[in-house]
Amino acid sequence: MTQRFVQELKKLKSDVLDMANLSKEMLNESIEALKTQDVSVAEKVISQRKDIRVYDNQIEDDAKRLIALYQPVAKDLRTIITILKMNTYLTRIGIYSKDISRDIKAIPKDNGFPRLKSICLMGDLVLDMLDDVIKAYETEDLSLIEDMGKRDDTVDDLFFTILRECISYMIENPNSIGFYTHYMLMARYLERCGDHVCKISEKLNYMITGERIIIK
Amino acid sequence: MKKKKYALECKNLNLWYGENQALYDISMKVIKNKVTALIGPSGCGKSTLIRCFNRMNDTIDECKVDAELIFNNENIYSSNADVVKIRRKIGMVFQKPNPFPKSIYENIAYGPRTHGERKKEKLDKIVKKSLEAAALWDEVKDRLQKSAMGLSGGQQQRLCIARALAVEPDMILMDEPCSALDPIATTKIEDLIDELKKDYTVVIVTHNMQQAARISDYTGFMYLGKLIEFGETRKIFENPDEELTEKYIMGRFG
Repeated sequence: MTQRFVQELKKLKSDVLDMANLSKEMLNESIEALKTQDVSVAEKVISQRKDIRVYDNQIEDDAKRLIALYQPVAKDLRTIITILKMNTYLTRIGIYSKDISRDIKAIPKDNGFPRLKSICLMGDLVLDMLDDVIKAYETEDLSLIEDMGKRDDTVDDLFFTILRECISYMIENPNSIGFYTHYMLMARYLERCGDHVCKISEKLNYMITGERIIIK
Repeated sequence: MKKKKYALECKNLNLWYGENQALYDISMKVIKNKVTALIGPSGCGKSTLIRCFNRMNDTIDECKVDAELIFNNENIYSSNADVVKIRRKIGMVFQKPNPFPKSIYENIAYGPRTHGERKKEKLDKIVKKSLEAAALWDEVKDRLQKSAMGLSGGQQQRLCIARALAVEPDMILMDEPCSALDPIATTKIEDLIDELKKDYTVVIVTHNMQQAARISDYTGFMYLGKLIEFGETRKIFENPDEELTEKYIMGRFG
């Protein structure tokens, strides 16, 4: 039975990796769409929302089955619990990517309001963080995520800068309120994605060492 | 921090069966009013160790023990130790229920009577109290004079626990008490063990790791006659220190 458990756990772990890569792809594309204003890319991300849901349900079911049938302990149990939590965080990242894409579609084009470059930079930082946390999960190399807290602080700083910037533009020209509200929301979604990456990092640390750390 | 009280302290226990050493330098402290579980693969010495705790190994001719086992400030293995008294204070329950082929009542009364109790009212009280403590009273109170052999396996096992309780021990050793029982009887024994630790110290040997994780407060993992790791059950099952322990509890052995 151990053989079967090991096989099934391996499959579960690789399913989460696939899901993580899908979330990353969605975030990456939504940031691309943000940079290029390409609505077709944004539409693709929106359509991928349903794929995330399929992973979400399937991983939860498989994890539940493994716990019920094999009563795993120690690292096996920590891994499954971490996978369940990652499942949620990755789903959120996928949904935020979809939300960003929705905003991109809703932003009116060529209305003359200055676009915010800093939000693209913020997106790239969050994407790098996500990339590293996925690598850390794959390789169990914790050094990849040891400075996650600091990196997320930078993301948070950018978030507040963008908020202030948007508010200044809004005050300057109340006609731009609708336009910049989209930017504020997108910045907020990216900030949330950064937090979820930090939570995944905490769980990975727990999975690998059994010790709990607090990043955020 | 509250100082832990030890029911039994085992220091540097070595044991040989003839020429073969079966236990190597085992030191552990059994904490009072807690359940301590011993786990490990077959033949690792769990049963041998638990049988040292009330000198049951004395019955095996070629078994030689070198140890200091402190129980109530006395060394169980000192030359002037009173083995009968030790076994009264440290009771034992075995894998297969082994009631005497006598009535339910006699099974319980036998021990106290051997230890000198003759009064019927007193014996009646002991029988009732012991059966109640073993969660069996309600099921057998109307047939105390019937043969114990007519009870189900789970009831017989609880009868054996009641019989061990009748002589008012401090500690109860259980050697795989559930392995011959069905799941419902197993649950009852597990609930009972949880109750028993209020008044007694329990040491249990089990092959069922989930059972150890469920019912015990402390767990010792043994392998090839050595105590590899001993500590709080939660720690052992969530994040053990030793790789060997982790491999065993995760079922990745050999």
